[in-house]
Amino acid sequence: MLKPFPSIFRQITEAAKGLGLEENMASSSSSGLTFKLHPLVIVNISDHYTRIKSQSLPPPSTPHAASASNGATSDSSSPPPQPPPRVFGCVIGVQRGRTVEIFNSFELLYDPSTHSLDRAFLEKKQELYKKVFPNFYILGWYSTGSDAQESDMQIHRDLMDINESPLYVLLNPSINPAQKDLPVTIYESELHVIDGIPQLIFVQSSYTIETVEAERISIDHVAHLKPSDGGSAATQLAAHLTGIHSAIKMLNSRIRVLHHYLLAMQKGDIPCENSLLREVSSLLRRLPAIESEKFQDDFLMEYNDTLLISYLAMFTNCSSTMNELVDKFNTAYDRHSRRGGRSAFI
Amino acid sequence: MNLNMNSVETLVAQIHGLSGSISDINQLHSLLKQSEDLFQSESTRLAPLLTELDPFMHSLGYLYILDACTSAPISKEQASELVLSIARFINLCAAEQIRLAPDKFTSVCKRFKDQVMLLEDPMQGVAPMLTAIRKLQLSSEHLTTLHPDFLLFCLLAKCYKPGLSILEDDIFDVDQPRDFFLYCYYGGMICIGQKKFSKALELLHNVVTAPMSILNAIVVEAYKKYILVSLIHVGQFSISFPKYTSSVAQRNLKNFSQPYLELANSYGAGKISELELCVQAHNEKFEFDKNLGLVKQVVSCMYKRNIQRLTQTYLTLSLQDIANTVQLNSAKEAEMHVLQMIQDGEIYATINQKDGMVRFLEDPEQYKTCEMIERIDSSIQRIMMLSRKLTDMDEQLSCDPLYLAKVSL
Repeated sequence: MLKPFPSIFRQITEAAKGLGLEENMASSSSSGLTFKLHPLVIVNISDHYTRIKSQSLPPPSTPHAASASNGATSDSSSPPPQPPPRVFGCVIGVQRGRTVEIFNSFELLYDPSTHSLDRAFLEKKQELYKKVFPNFYILGWYSTGSDAQESDMQIHRDLMDINESPLYVLLNPSINPAQKDLPVTIYESELHVIDGIPQLIFVQSSYTIETVEAERISIDHVAHLKPSDGGSAATQLAAHLTGIHSAIKMLNSRIRVLHHYLLAMQKGDIPCENSLLREVSSLLRRLPAIESEKFQDDFLMEYNDTLLISYLAMFTNCSSTMNELVDKFNTAYDRHSRRGGRSAFI
Repeated sequence: MNLNMNSVETLVAQIHGLSGSISDINQLHSLLKQSEDLFQSESTRLAPLLTELDPFMHSLGYLYILDACTSAPISKEQASELVLSIARFINLCAAEQIRLAPDKFTSVCKRFKDQVMLLEDPMQGVAPMLTAIRKLQLSSEHLTTLHPDFLLFCLLAKCYKPGLSILEDDIFDVDQPRDFFLYCYYGGMICIGQKKFSKALELLHNVVTAPMSILNAIVVEAYKKYILVSLIHVGQFSISFPKYTSSVAQRNLKNFSQPYLELANSYGAGKISELELCVQAHNEKFEFDKNLGLVKQVVSCMYKRNIQRLTQTYLTLSLQDIANTVQLNSAKEAEMHVLQMIQDGEIYATINQKDGMVRFLEDPEQYKTCEMIERIDSSIQRIMMLSRKLTDMDEQLSCDPLYLAKVSL
C-alpha cells in the first residue's frame, strides 16, 4: 500500500493555492470521508486518454506538401498543435460507512453541445455492470486535464441525481519528470457561502491507493510491457537487468543518504535521535544473512561458473567474428581460392 | 667546397636555432629534407659537427647529419667508435623528434646493426636496440623494422630475457611483411630456447599462416620448427592447415619438409623404437637444418606423452608397470620421469615409495577462490578488447573495394 506523505499533500495544496484558485476550489475537504483508489482505475483512465489522443493525431504530412507550402508559414510541415482532447467516464465502487473505495471505471461520451455526458449509454452500462458486480455503485466521474474547470461543475450537478455526492477524479496527463507523486486528484463538491451566495465548489480530498495481490501483479505486468518486439529473449533480459540495476542504484543512494545522516549525527551537526538510531541498528542487524564458510565456497564456485560461462560466450562470439573475417579476407585477397565453395553470404 | 661547408655551417646554426617548439621543428624538418644532397656531398667532413650538437635538444638535426656520416663506407677501426656514438645518440635522443623522420632513424639503426655484426659483439647491440624500438614505436602494438634486428641480437648474444619482454606485447600494426616473418621466426626460436613452447608454437603458427603470395625461405624453416614444437608441446601434429593459411603455403610447404612429416607420423604411432629409427634415418637432414636439438627433445617427450596417456586409463599403477608400458629401462627411471612431470605440473600424482605405486589424481583446482575470479575477470576484459578490435577489422574489410568487387560478381 502506498501512502502519500503528509508533506506531499501539503505541497499539493500549496501548489493549488499558488495556481490562482479557481472559484470552485477550496483547500481541503471537510466531509470526513476516506477515499481508497485502486490502480486499475488509474490505468483505465490513462489508457483511455492515450487511445483517444493517438487516434486524433493528424496524419504526418509528406515532404512534398511541405515544400509546396514553403514560405507561406514559418511552421510549414505540421498544423499548429491542438490541445490534447479531454476524455470522460464514470467511476464505480463501494461505499461502506465513511470509506469510499473506487474499484473500476468505464468510458463515456461527452456531448460538447449540451455539456453533458451521454445519459442513455451511462444507464445501459450501469445495468450491465450491476449484473456482474452487484455491489458496485456509480460513485462519480473522471476526466483528464490539469485543473478542474467551470464546465465540470455542470456535469457534476447532472450526476447528482444518481449519487447525491459524486466524486470527480482528475488525471493530469502532462508528463512532468520532476513530479514524484501520482498526478491524480479526487474532488468532492461542497456547498460554501461565497459573497453571500451559496455555491457548489470543488474541494480536494486526500486518498490512498489500495490493491489486492492479483490486481498488483496484473497492473505490474501491464506497466512493464514494451511496445517493440518484446518477445525476443535478449531485450527481455536486458529490460530485466536494467530493472535490477536501477533498483540497486536506488538502494545505493538511499544507503548513502543514511550514511551521510549518521556521519552528521556523529559530528554533532544534527541532534541525536535515538529512535532513528534504533531503527538503523535493527536494519543493520538483518545483514549479513549468511556468513558461513560453506556458503562462501558455494557462492564463489557459482560465481566462477557464471564468469566462465560468459567467458565461453565471448569466445564463441569472437570465434564467429573471426571466422567471418577470415572468409572475407580469403575472398578478397587470396588469388587461388576455391571457386564453387561456400560464398561469403549465407 | 668551402661554399658547401659554409652552407652546412649555416644549417647547423639553424638547427641550433629552430629546435625549440613544435612549429620550429616542423620548419627545421622541411629545411633538412631540402638540404639532403648537401649532406650527402659533404658526408666525410660532417663528423666534427656532431660534437657541436646536443643529441637530445637537436635530435632531428643530429639524426640527419649522423645518417649522412654513416652512409660513407666505414673502416674497421672507426666501427667501434661509431657504434658507441650511435648507441649514445639512441639513448639520448628525443622520441617526438625522431618520429618525424622514421626512415632515417631506421637506416641509422640498420647501419648500427651492420657495424655491430662486423665487430662480432652482439651484446653491445641489445640495450641500444631496445631503447631504439621503444622510441620509434607509435604504440606498444606497432611492429617496426627494428624488432627482428633486436631479436637477432638477443639470439646471438644468448641474452633472452629482453627478447621475451618484447614478445609479450600483442602486435596489431605491421610496417613491412618481411619484418613480421622474421620477428615471429626469431621470436619462436627465443621461446624455444627458454622452453616456453606454447608461445613458440603461437609465433611459428603465425609465420606459417601469414598471408603471402609466394613462398619464402623463412616460412619453410619455420614450418619445420613448427612441426617439432607442436610434437613436443601438444603431442600430435595435424597435417591439415587452418583455413586462413594462404593457398600458396598450403600447396607447397609439405614438399620441403618431408623428413619432419615422417617423424610426426612415427611419433603418432607411439613406439619409441620406431621413432629412434626414423631419427637415425634422417640424421643428416636434421643436422643440416640445425634442428637436431629439437629432435632429441621430441624423443624425450615421447615418454612424457605415454605416461600422460596412462593417467587416462589407470588410477594407480606400479612403477615397474609404467617402465614396461613406456619402454623405459627400469623402475628407477620411471620414477625419475614421473617426479619430473609432477614438478613441472604436467600431471597430478602421488608416488608411494614403500610399495612403488603411483596414484593419479584429478586437477585439484576447485575454482573456488577469489584469485581465480580475478584471473577470469582479466581474461574477460582482454577478450572484450580483442572482440572490439575484431569487429572493427571486420567492418573495415566489408567496406574494402577489393572485397566488394569479388563478392558482387
